[in-house]
Amino acid sequence: MAGKEVFALQINGTRREIFAPGDATLLDVLRDDLALRAAKRGCNQGVCGACTVMVDGVPVRGCLTLAGACTGREVTTLEGFADDAAMQALQEAMILSGGVQCGFCTSGMLITARDLVAQTPVPDEPAIRSALSGNLCRCTGYVRIVEAVTDAALQLARQKDTKREAVE
Amino acid sequence: MSFVVAPQTVDEAIAFLAANPDARPMAGGASLVAMKNARLIEASHFVSLARIEALRGIGPSAAGGLRIGGMMHHRQIAECADLTGGWQMLRQAAGLIANRVVRNMGTIGGAIANADPAADYLPVLACAGAEVELVGPDGLRRLAVADYLVDWYETALEPGEIVTAIELPAGGDGPSVYRKLARTPGDYATVSVACAREGAGPDSSVRVAVGACGPAPIRDRDAEAALAGRLHDPAAIAAFCATLAEQADPIDDVRGSAAYRLKLIPRMVAAAIRDVTGDR
Repeated sequence: MAGKEVFALQINGTRREIFAPGDATLLDVLRDDLALRAAKRGCNQGVCGACTVMVDGVPVRGCLTLAGACTGREVTTLEGFADDAAMQALQEAMILSGGVQCGFCTSGMLITARDLVAQTPVPDEPAIRSALSGNLCRCTGYVRIVEAVTDAALQLARQKDTKREAVE
Repeated sequence: MSFVVAPQTVDEAIAFLAANPDARPMAGGASLVAMKNARLIEASHFVSLARIEALRGIGPSAAGGLRIGGMMHHRQIAECADLTGGWQMLRQAAGLIANRVVRNMGTIGGAIANADPAADYLPVLACAGAEVELVGPDGLRRLAVADYLVDWYETALEPGEIVTAIELPAGGDGPSVYRKLARTPGDYATVSVACAREGAGPDSSVRVAVGACGPAPIRDRDAEAALAGRLHDPAAIAAFCATLAEQADPIDDVRGSAAYRLKLIPRMVAAAIRDVTGDR
């Protein structure tokens, strides 16, 4: 293991200083040093998607990102989306659809889904399944998660239309 | 000195690697950090190439083809509007790697340095006649894919050398296609085929490379020449497919047996040829 170093990271809009092994992953410091535990350590190999977080607005694997490579970058975890309307819509839809069972995959699913609805306002089912294909869920069989993302995306698109009409 | 160093230029990266023989270059980290997490590799430092501007961009090459910076992410390649016609297959291959999030991380240079025989770029680059650009302490060199790949997971990369770019020759109007058979979307290929058509007339030919069936993609220019002008002849296609299958050296692994892969090759090659000729 590499010796300990000080990392100065920008996490959820706040500058944080962490003293951790030089080869620590972003996931390691989020969970073990900052107690931000929405991102989960599943496989630690980049396969399961439970650790998905945003770096500079792009979803990445927390377990495959080294903390030392994040200096000067903006890291956003699920906790950082607490006031985000799109994330709230996704979270509510997940609850209503029954897309959460054990909950281990949920944080990563939500980050990936949040990126999808930002890029593709009304994604169809194949687009949702493709986008979420790197987030493994061993409980739900995915049907209810796909339903939740579909419902949230429709609701968000409708809200946007309503706002546009109000402005016009 | 911190464990992760992030030089701004290729020269700085090469100098650091030369001065620190136990340091490793890191592209996107999608494979390298996974290996570190599994304790499969050790290093004194990871030299991140992420802040080197010269390793980014997709644009015209000096030779009249296309130059792709080594640090371009799979997602950027999958979304690149310049990759049409004979280069379309590269765009398709990039879009089939892993999944949306990992495509934000992994890079073409890193994938080629890792040189997994079942990964998606190598057959496409072999089919396109691409060159891999390497820079190290002794300067810059460009190698054809066949010369770059030495054996299973073994490349011509010398210690301290990095992949800086990929250069594709002028791609022609295509069409081209990348076909991948995998157990599940985003997995490595069980067998993959890249195929591009040369010319549109009755004498037209195809370039074909088969991936995941040996240490390097299988490509046979003599067999391609023999097939020229006979792209609608099922017997000629069957003979071509058999020639490629004879050169395969597949392994038994979790993605399929060697025997299964040998059965897939003729079917997938023939299907890829039909894709570019429009026959059904």
